[in-house]
Amino acid sequence: MSDVDAALHTALQPLVGGQGPVQVATEPVGASAVSAWCAVMSEANPLFVDEAVATSGPHGGIVAPPATLNMWTMPVRIGGDSVGRDTDQPQQAAYQLLDDAGFTGVVATNSDQAYEAHLRPGDIVSARTTLVGVSPQKQTALGIGHFVTTEVAYANQHGDPVGTLTFRIFKFRPGTGRQRGDEPVDDSPRPERPRPRWNQDQAWHWEGLRQHELRIQRFTGSGRLVHPPVVADPTTHDMAYDWVVASGRGSLYSWTAPEHPKVPAFDYPLVVGLVELEEGVRVVSNIVGVRPDQLEIGMPLEVCWLDSHDDVTLHQFRPVRPDRRTDTLVRGDVSVGDRLPPCPIDVTTELVMSGALATFDHQDVHHDSDAARAKGLPDIIMNILTSSGLAARWLGDWAGDRMVFRNLRIGLGASNHPGDTMTMTGSVTDVGEGGAVTVAFVGTNSLGNHIRGSAELVLPEGPQGAEGSA
Amino acid sequence: MWTPARRTAIVGIGATEFSKDSGRTPMQLATEACLAACGDAGLDPTLVDGMSLFSMERNYEIEVARNLGIPRLRFFSMVNHGGGGGCATVGMAAMAVHTGAADYVLAYRAFNERSWHRFGGGVQTHHQSPEANDVSFSWTSPFGLLTPAQWAGMFATRYMHQHGATSEDFGRIAVVDRRHAANNPAAFFHGRPITLEEHQASRIISDPLRLLDCCQESDGGVALLITSAERAEGLDREPAWIAAAAQGVAEDQWMMRSYYRDDITGIPEMGLVAEQLWKSSGLGPADMQAAMLYDHFTPLVLPQFEEFGFCAAGEAKDFIADGNIEVGGGLPINTNGGQLGEAYIHGMNGIAEGVRQVRGTSVNQVDGAVNVLVTSGSGVPTSGLVLSSEGG
Repeated sequence: MSDVDAALHTALQPLVGGQGPVQVATEPVGASAVSAWCAVMSEANPLFVDEAVATSGPHGGIVAPPATLNMWTMPVRIGGDSVGRDTDQPQQAAYQLLDDAGFTGVVATNSDQAYEAHLRPGDIVSARTTLVGVSPQKQTALGIGHFVTTEVAYANQHGDPVGTLTFRIFKFRPGTGRQRGDEPVDDSPRPERPRPRWNQDQAWHWEGLRQHELRIQRFTGSGRLVHPPVVADPTTHDMAYDWVVASGRGSLYSWTAPEHPKVPAFDYPLVVGLVELEEGVRVVSNIVGVRPDQLEIGMPLEVCWLDSHDDVTLHQFRPVRPDRRTDTLVRGDVSVGDRLPPCPIDVTTELVMSGALATFDHQDVHHDSDAARAKGLPDIIMNILTSSGLAARWLGDWAGDRMVFRNLRIGLGASNHPGDTMTMTGSVTDVGEGGAVTVAFVGTNSLGNHIRGSAELVLPEGPQGAEGSA
Repeated sequence: MWTPARRTAIVGIGATEFSKDSGRTPMQLATEACLAACGDAGLDPTLVDGMSLFSMERNYEIEVARNLGIPRLRFFSMVNHGGGGGCATVGMAAMAVHTGAADYVLAYRAFNERSWHRFGGGVQTHHQSPEANDVSFSWTSPFGLLTPAQWAGMFATRYMHQHGATSEDFGRIAVVDRRHAANNPAAFFHGRPITLEEHQASRIISDPLRLLDCCQESDGGVALLITSAERAEGLDREPAWIAAAAQGVAEDQWMMRSYYRDDITGIPEMGLVAEQLWKSSGLGPADMQAAMLYDHFTPLVLPQFEEFGFCAAGEAKDFIADGNIEVGGGLPINTNGGQLGEAYIHGMNGIAEGVRQVRGTSVNQVDGAVNVLVTSGSGVPTSGLVLSSEGG
């Protein structure tokens, strides 16, 4: 450790264990903020927004999505004077010391929320934060830095506890990452994929792909569909055919994930699937937005497109976002080992930015790509509250409206940058007393695991006698 | 394919050593293997008047004939579709010698598929014409499905899903083959058995296939000499009688990519071969004392037990358990080590091992081996043989 590092460490340590003054939200929990949050997360639970439904619901009125727990006390920075750090708060004092020492980059890495009561519109949230640790210097892929861990206890205006948060961020020196900057840039053009060849017997198929149509050969006499195409109906020998445009929906029939030899034209992990289309024929296609260990035979897939060459478009398939269930899972519906339906989430610039704004996270790395690059990131990154919110929405889509969250614990790894797809998968790891169900999950993107976490959910009791019925 | 049961025979086998780098040309390997087969039979090579090849053979018969000094070649043929044609070359030869089209026919495979080019390296730069066969690769190659292991992987995943087989079940094939190879001085993996744990620890090649599910490309050559019952009497060796030979292409057949059939967990072209072999030999699965099953990839071995009637569909994982396919078990397989253990000579070495079993000269000899099943490439247009120590 250098003298500078030693001095920093010395300065930081007295802050650890310190607790700042209670911080009170400047705005109450509000319906419009909740609506905006639900819109961004695609959260469709009416108990968060629909007064009529919520009043007769399990909470007796509208409640805020539990995953919003820590957003109500977030400091607002956009559109006003930059708020300086409130160094009465020990964690803010630590951040300032780290900033001053050059550790200006920041990413959130862990958020463990535990819920004690629901927040309701009009509640004024207050937070009391304890700085519980500053790690020694660590080298990560992002850079050299320190992990800072805080614990926050939240209460409402009556002083009733509503939940707690253990939160960890990584403060790092931009430009000290292992992955970027110190490796030679490979600017050689990427080789093209093997080019498909065709003749007039299949040209119509490839022309269709250019127009984002998956065309399947249909013999006009018998109506028989054949793929890959032939020249004569194998049963009638009729050579007159046209095509149908497939719906683009199907299911995974089989797959393999080639690893060796690696061919430079492809990204790995590479998944090649055999997709059974709704129309009844199979096609070989890449399966994208999902990693091999997330695949399940039979999983629903939908077509998407890849312009692989100047004049060639290929079909690709990706998991279909599962529908939200209309009833709610009840005790007895769920067993250990049950797998949740995989769910792809397109990480768009809009989602990253609107997610940050809807969760009151005004850190520039979530909305300003220039600022993100200045801090050592390749582009803006999704904030942890959006990642939590999306995970919570997906869990709610699976369990239903009346499921109640006890906690939501997540750790972040590979960042979600615009242009990527994050696919959520998970399974039930525990079914406890009183309807408590634990789900372990991951959300993966092209770089690896963005999010890894678990949630404890409580399922309502089923209708009387349901468990004993046939 | 029609062959008269037990009226033709393999009377000579010859091989080079098996390696990753032969240090000589494929033509020399072919010539050495052919001379060795003739030498094994005690036949003057210039009396050979037929050559029976299968595609991907690049040592054409005219070149080998020049080297052997064959003055008159009256029968020559090339069966299509690579590794599936191995046993068919013997069947073609049997038909030729039985009909009088030729007296003595050589069938062979020789190559440097390791040192000259990697056979399993992929077809990414192949298939660039608009002819139908090249076009057939357009449905897979642009998606990165480029090597035989990758093509096999698609079948393996579905087989596992549908029949509850696991990677360990695939591994058991490799373990048995390598156990047999370990005892075979001619095998590349002589003295190098593997455990199931080593199989499970081997790296993924194309999930779910691991390295040890895949045979290793080899340099080497194997040749077989076929003649009629009458001519066999004058030669040095006890004939390995051809009790049956058959070819098969089933509905909607592709080269390793028959993905569009109702069920892709079976190998119906193998079923067609089985049906013909049993019918024309008058034998059945219970009459086989050993089997040389084409094993370029372990997942494609399991359905062969099912197609040939050794067990029901989906039950191969149970059939192969508890030592049943090792020497001493109910149906020892690949007693030379197979392609996973001895060498990947596109199945021709498996035919040679079948000959050794019915001669009683295998290093892993099966007691009382009278009838031996031999199969060729799985997942491709294929063929099979029943060899027997009992003549007609």
